[in-house]
Amino acid sequence: MRSAWFDPFTAATGIDIVSVSGNTYGRVQAMVEAGRPEWDVVEVLPDFQWIGASANLLEPLDFSVIDTSGVMEGDDLVTEFSIPQVLFSRVMTYSTRFDEVPTDFAAFWDTQRFPGRRAFYSRANGGMLEAALLADGVAPEDLYPLDIDRALAKLDEIRDDILFYETNAQGEQFMSDGQTTLGLLPDGRALNIRNTGAPVDIQYAASFLTWSTMVVPRGAPNAAAAMEFLAYSLTPEAQAAIAEAYTYGPVVPAAFDMISPERAAILSGGPQMAGQAVLFGEKWWGENLSQASERLTEWMLG
Amino acid sequence: MRNLTGGGAWLVLPAVLLLAAFFLWPVGELVARSFRDPAGAWVHYQRIWEVPAYLRILNRTLVISAMTTVICVVLAYPLAYRLVTASPMGRAVILVCVLIPFWTNLLVRSYGWIIMLNPQGVINSALMGLGLIDEPLRLVYNTTGVLIGMSQIMLPFMILPIAAVMARLDPKVTHAARSLGATPVQAFFKVYLPLTMPGVMAGSVLVFTISLGFFVIPALLGGSREILLAQLIEFNINQVLNWGLAAALSTVLLIATLGLYWIGDRWFGLGRIWGLK
Repeated sequence: MRSAWFDPFTAATGIDIVSVSGNTYGRVQAMVEAGRPEWDVVEVLPDFQWIGASANLLEPLDFSVIDTSGVMEGDDLVTEFSIPQVLFSRVMTYSTRFDEVPTDFAAFWDTQRFPGRRAFYSRANGGMLEAALLADGVAPEDLYPLDIDRALAKLDEIRDDILFYETNAQGEQFMSDGQTTLGLLPDGRALNIRNTGAPVDIQYAASFLTWSTMVVPRGAPNAAAAMEFLAYSLTPEAQAAIAEAYTYGPVVPAAFDMISPERAAILSGGPQMAGQAVLFGEKWWGENLSQASERLTEWMLG
Repeated sequence: MRNLTGGGAWLVLPAVLLLAAFFLWPVGELVARSFRDPAGAWVHYQRIWEVPAYLRILNRTLVISAMTTVICVVLAYPLAYRLVTASPMGRAVILVCVLIPFWTNLLVRSYGWIIMLNPQGVINSALMGLGLIDEPLRLVYNTTGVLIGMSQIMLPFMILPIAAVMARLDPKVTHAARSLGATPVQAFFKVYLPLTMPGVMAGSVLVFTISLGFFVIPALLGGSREILLAQLIEFNINQVLNWGLAAALSTVLLIATLGLYWIGDRWFGLGRIWGLK
């Protein structure tokens, strides 16, 4: 991150960047409520664009400084309070020991043809509800608002075959040691497993695309400099640099011109996903995470 | 408190101030926050009451904590007995065995358990290698995993109070019971156990109340179907920013704990253990 974004930005603008880790939504709220935010820019998941905005924690962005014209198409990538940072995805990861290759989410539910347990992220917005609806025949464009009843009824069918992971590392472990034979995993984790030589591959035809977001806490001490940094982050050069450093995809399609085809083929939003990956309904999640989580918790308790 | 009346009372002032500033005030603020929603003072409590997930998780939390307490009593009592009756060398060995896990980082221990307990782990491989089981036992990411992890971590909190009471007990009382004709079993149940009960109760209160707020162990060893109240509170604080609901859940947990303590005090005289009565 430092070599891909911070140092070049400092060289170009003279603005120093101090990075801290360990951000949580709760800490942002605590800082803003106390009236003394310590952070100027926070990387968050997109649900916070709405959760944070409705809690009045975010500074409106200055779009006379930030040029968002290069950002890929898609609803809600840019809001009054946020710009997208990079793309990542949750991809179907499968054991290559099956006789055939699973091609869609229906395979996730077909424990006859594809025996073994399934790995899902335990949180409601980890993609399992969407996967259930797609497996049940809902068209991707009709997913939202999610029909939670229908999704949970579909999940009932494989209830005892699901192993939930609490952390991404745990999900990676499940797939790499064979505790599960099919899993919906973050793409970076799935690539890790494949790179270690485990008998695991990725089915990009069954994948969800989402993104990380950057916001400015309300009352940030250096808001003007924050706007400049956000503007810099959306240049094709910055987006290409981050895609070389991590396996995140650029949110600015023009950056792909600066990325080798081999590299592009493993990035979120790359050609292997084009027209196949379903964009997460992050706005719906931002507004419904709490209620959907209650329903899922009840379902999990049985 | 009778010893603290008179001239020495000011000695507790620093501790009281510290508690007031860093414990009572934040807890009071938390409770107040649970009633401060613009939609009405009771909205969060109404939701906890009406959405079945919340009371069921509270119930689960109480049951798991109680089970952990029982397991700890069963494991700790004989161990504490060995600890106080062992030679100085043996005592040192037992103490070190009890305390080393106690001093080890919680995460390290949890991941250690995952390695031990998972289907390809040491325990399952050994049992399968010996031909005792045909397929791996599910020991982790379920209630079993939570109980194993929590019991191990809580064990010192049980052993130390029990051992403290046992060490203070005059061994002559069981000798007296025996010389008056009691069988060893009678001597144990009629004399030794009742006299060491305060240690068991003190340990149980510690283990039970600490277990109620456990977060890391259930999160790592429990799997998602096993969530406890602390995880729900964390979710509301850090994910959906519903601090009001998180505060209400914390208040419910606090009241449940105090209520159980009150019952324990009323029926088992817990206050005596702390020397308050």
